[in-house]
Amino acid sequence: MRIHVVKREDCPLWKKILLYVGAVALALVLGGLVLLAMGVNPLEYYSKMFTMGMIGNKIAYKAVENYLKILVPLILTALGLSLAFKMRFWNIGGEGQFIVGAIAATAVAFLTGEALPQPLVLVLMCVAAMAAAGLLGVFVAALKVRFGTNETLLTLMLNYIALYVLTFLGETKGDWNFFLNPQSARPTFGSFASLVSFPKIMLGKFGLNICVLLTIVIGVLVYVYLKRTKQGYEIAVVGDSMGTARYAGMKVNTIVLRTVFFSACLIGLAAAFKVGTAGILSTSITDDVGWTGIIVAWLAQLNTVGIFLVSALIGVLQFGSTAAAATFSAVDSSFADMLQGVILFLVLAADFFTRFRVVITKKEVERHG
Amino acid sequence: MAEEYAVELRGITKTFGPVVANHNVNLNLRKGEILSLLGENGSGKTTLMNMLSGIYTPDSGTILVDGKPVTISSPQDAKRLGIGMVHQHFKLVDVFSAADNIWMGAQEAGFVLKKDRYQKIEEMAKKFGFDLDPHKQVCNMAVSEKQTLEIIKVLYYGAKVIILDEPTAVLTVQEIDKLFGVLRRMKEQGHSIIIITHKLNEVMDISDRVAILRKGEYITTVDTKDTNEQELTEWMVGHKIDLNIERPKVEKLSPLLEIRDLTIRSDEGNVAIDHVSFYIRGGEMLGVAGIAGCGQKELCEAIAGLRPIESGKMIHKGENIVGLSPKEILAKGISMSFIPEDRLGMGLAPSMSITDNMILKNYNDTKGPFVDRKAGREDAQRVIDELGVVTPSTETPVRRLSGGNVQKVLLGREIKAGPNVIVTAYPVRGLDINSSYAIYNILNQQKKSGVGILFVGEDLDVMMALCDKILVLCHGKVMGVVHAHKTTKEELGLMMTGSLDLTHKYADKPAGYAADSLFDQEEEGK
Amino acid sequence: MKKRILALALAGVMALGLAACSSKTGSTTDDKTQNSATGTSDSDFKVGAIYINKKSDTAGYTYAHNKGITTAMEELGLDPETQLVIVDEVPEEDDKVAAAVDNLVGEGCDIIFGISFGYLNAMEAKAAEYPEVIFSHATGYLSNDTNFNNYFGRIYQARYLTGVAAGLKSLETGNNNVGYVSAYGTEYAETCSGINGFTLGVQSVNPNATVYVKELGAWSDEQNEYAFAEELINSYNCGVIAQHCDSAQPQIAAEKAGVFGCGYNSDMTVDAPKAHLTAAVWNWDVYYKTAMETAMTCGGAENFVSAMGGSAYYEGLTKGLVGVSPLSDNCAPNTQAYLDAVKELIASGEWDVFSGVKLSYTLNDDGTVSITKTDAALKTNDGKEIVPAGGKSVEDSVITGTMNYFVEGVKVG
Repeated sequence: MRIHVVKREDCPLWKKILLYVGAVALALVLGGLVLLAMGVNPLEYYSKMFTMGMIGNKIAYKAVENYLKILVPLILTALGLSLAFKMRFWNIGGEGQFIVGAIAATAVAFLTGEALPQPLVLVLMCVAAMAAAGLLGVFVAALKVRFGTNETLLTLMLNYIALYVLTFLGETKGDWNFFLNPQSARPTFGSFASLVSFPKIMLGKFGLNICVLLTIVIGVLVYVYLKRTKQGYEIAVVGDSMGTARYAGMKVNTIVLRTVFFSACLIGLAAAFKVGTAGILSTSITDDVGWTGIIVAWLAQLNTVGIFLVSALIGVLQFGSTAAAATFSAVDSSFADMLQGVILFLVLAADFFTRFRVVITKKEVERHG
Repeated sequence: MAEEYAVELRGITKTFGPVVANHNVNLNLRKGEILSLLGENGSGKTTLMNMLSGIYTPDSGTILVDGKPVTISSPQDAKRLGIGMVHQHFKLVDVFSAADNIWMGAQEAGFVLKKDRYQKIEEMAKKFGFDLDPHKQVCNMAVSEKQTLEIIKVLYYGAKVIILDEPTAVLTVQEIDKLFGVLRRMKEQGHSIIIITHKLNEVMDISDRVAILRKGEYITTVDTKDTNEQELTEWMVGHKIDLNIERPKVEKLSPLLEIRDLTIRSDEGNVAIDHVSFYIRGGEMLGVAGIAGCGQKELCEAIAGLRPIESGKMIHKGENIVGLSPKEILAKGISMSFIPEDRLGMGLAPSMSITDNMILKNYNDTKGPFVDRKAGREDAQRVIDELGVVTPSTETPVRRLSGGNVQKVLLGREIKAGPNVIVTAYPVRGLDINSSYAIYNILNQQKKSGVGILFVGEDLDVMMALCDKILVLCHGKVMGVVHAHKTTKEELGLMMTGSLDLTHKYADKPAGYAADSLFDQEEEGK
Repeated sequence: MKKRILALALAGVMALGLAACSSKTGSTTDDKTQNSATGTSDSDFKVGAIYINKKSDTAGYTYAHNKGITTAMEELGLDPETQLVIVDEVPEEDDKVAAAVDNLVGEGCDIIFGISFGYLNAMEAKAAEYPEVIFSHATGYLSNDTNFNNYFGRIYQARYLTGVAAGLKSLETGNNNVGYVSAYGTEYAETCSGINGFTLGVQSVNPNATVYVKELGAWSDEQNEYAFAEELINSYNCGVIAQHCDSAQPQIAAEKAGVFGCGYNSDMTVDAPKAHLTAAVWNWDVYYKTAMETAMTCGGAENFVSAMGGSAYYEGLTKGLVGVSPLSDNCAPNTQAYLDAVKELIASGEWDVFSGVKLSYTLNDDGTVSITKTDAALKTNDGKEIVPAGGKSVEDSVITGTMNYFVEGVKVG
């Protein structure tokens, strides 16, 4: 028996949906078996997970708020990544760009938070975060354009450099280090929540963070940018065929630099929204959105609307599994992580099958002569 | 008793998704014959042969070798059955020597490389009259040498049935003669040969019988001596066709594009174009002939402003274009279309729609930040209508179109911009006869309206029929410019291999300089 | 080609994601029958907890707290299966802690324990937001007057005891060098007081002993925990290795080198049966039982702090919140008698470690030990006097917050 992998030209939508749903179902069955082995009723667990623990919750609106807090940075990061990916610039540096943006925004908050009016500080935080992240992105793009370096490796390595810089800031006491909490004997990041934070629009008890609205607006802008503008068109051409872009007289280098800058800018903005809401830095500030964002962008096939949908689903997965794990004593966060991993893995496998077909030929080889 | 064939295919069907590549194909190969497999591009010749060599397996049907049904599910199976295939794209390791390329796939190759492998392979080559240095590395070989190596490899593995996929595409006339000599010798020694081609003269020259495929269907097999080119074409295309290519006579205008002493380096830094001079007049089609990779690509790119030049001059209507950006050159009305081997590379964005490809060169002409797709859609529709592009809609990705339609879109866009110089390389590459003629017509139409055309091509017959003059390149050097209707294929072949240099034919005038050159104007303008 | 790069990247992402997920899933499913609501008012009582590591851990800091909470609940007749809600692996990040609190409050928890130091700010904020819920934070210093307290224990007292055991061993072996692998040094009062308490214990029986300290710079770093212990043994010729870090690696290193050691957090005799003497351990259930009992009876979250008798719970040997693990056979003869005597002295409240009074011991013929108290100043290892001879113990706030010096006998390696 031989197995061939054949590329699919076209996969009908119903088949795609069937494959994805099938993958999630299979993951849930596998997870269910593990749950049964741990003595937990899988149905109870899953209903808790998919409702994100909101049923029977005294403060369900809080769960929605916290869910949106996870969602905003993830969507923005995936949007940013999709810009670069559309151009086939493999920006794996979402983590690093996010961290740099977060540091810049926090610095602005601490340095100007007392002196300037709050809305201005918030704008400055966003600008600083976008500039810092954008420059980090441009740095890599410039090296690629100038020397042909591999952006995948560079952005990947910068992730770790950024993380270590952040760790250094978080663990090093010194007069210069205004990021730390001066009251604490042990080095911990200081909070600027009392100085400045993104406002909420109160709808009854539910506080709708302004960042959520901004994210939707940015989503629309990115959609229009990619679909309707000349620059968006240039990105598509460069991504499709670099040679053709040059041939059409496009300034490919400028386009690459500009697009990567925008890509990183959005990720920086995600970071500004995140720290501006949390009011404090932390070494796990990224929540892995730089990585998860890649999966989101990939599963959404770089489609802007798709990114919102996929992010929403992955958000349910992340938030719901934590909520569910809390209430079952036998289940800890490892199981939640494992289930997420299994679901994503199988969905990516399903994604593979929407792009490829596996053909099995049965007949045995007949020896001859 | 029925005749026992070397290979017999019965009712072979192969589909790729919705595409039927082969449908119920019957084919037989006698022992010790040369069979031509004739068909247009996309008629399923290569797919069929790939099933014989174990790259694909048929969905249904039977393959018989020496009268016994077999299943060939890998190239190893094919090798065991004595079937070998020389592919169009050579499958060789560049940094290995000739002998090692053969040795690494040989049955007796052990863990240790033995010294005597060179000798063994040299003996083998001599037996068939090949000229091969077993120590030579593949990367230092010419195309014809690589092909020879591929054939020896197949023979060394003990193939009795040898399939050659378009072996002449990369060869000059002289090399083709040499190859055919080898094939005849192999036939005498009892090998059976299938040669895939779409060149009719070669079919008539080399084969004993011809099998014809059309759109995946088997049409017929005939004895070569009982048929002629016209009949074969009709079987191949399915209807009567005029094989004559039109060459309209147009009054020659003043030189549009003049190239003087141009030297260009390739990506690897070698000299790709070496002190080349020529010119194109309005209403003239200049063919560029040469073995693949003789600097054609570099020349086209340099004219379009995509590649910096080392030295020399290029003037357009008396104005210097050296150092201008691709955009500025475009604005001067010089259009360049290069169809690379994969047919989708340069000039098109394959994943994008026809509309999006239509606006590629003028998307930036409108004001404001937004792309005007409405105008692009209208242009696309016009090109589709005028050139007869077969497509579901203007929004279909170019990748989904068949070869001829892709090239029509590309040329349509170039013509739409109203250029005065068209540089086109391999515009009919991979096209069927009908599509090719459509493209020739488009080019002739342009020529008639006074456009100067540089036609980089590979089929000498076509160029001799279509172009006014032909410039022959050999390793980046000009071997001369000949009148297309006066020259012969043999002459062109000799020039392509560098054996004949006609550049100094006329002592009174430097080769490639127009009598009414506009260079002086440019000099004065300085 | 380009596709492959993305595939590669995706694969990389997946690999990272999966690596982060791969860990032992605890098999701590108790074979307990689900006891449905028993009808008492206690059956409505819900306990929430926020852990820094996994609730399924089988050793370490989180394990110790989890064990404390479940033990306390069982003693009070509460069912951990249904009445305990845990959000685990919560990093010390305000946003995440706040989300965890929201989660627990939403589940209807009446009291929420946060076990890691860095939770303090978020818990303080949330205590104000949810005045109807009790918040209790370990190792921190923040609190309010109504529903938010903090709790910690005098582990330095237990370390003094292990120091005595280590000192006796050093007398027996004749090797005056004692090693100490510590997460941090003077940066944290917690590690600093631990080192000092241990050293004072060692010196009370062997005044010639020196305690060499190596600092990891991290709360948990298994590789260096082993490597530093090895260095203390090889380069500093230490004969007993004490530790303030998460794993048993220092004890394992001691075992391998044929020397002795004092563990922390759990009885590490199982990890190093030939080396381990005794370990300073926490009995968190002592606090948790008190806190839960108070929470159930105080009649409203706003009364919790006053019912607990203060916003900071800080107990030691007296209440049994800290202690030492059973002595192993590796200990020097009569160690148990020494420890019993000191323990009684401290538990009675008569004497404490960081005071201007030093202890010395006499082994009686009947195997008991009598203690002699001598007035002597408490001095730092660079000669500064902290407490004058005969002076009272330093303030609790120093021990938990500002102690940033080493006492005589400590040398930083």
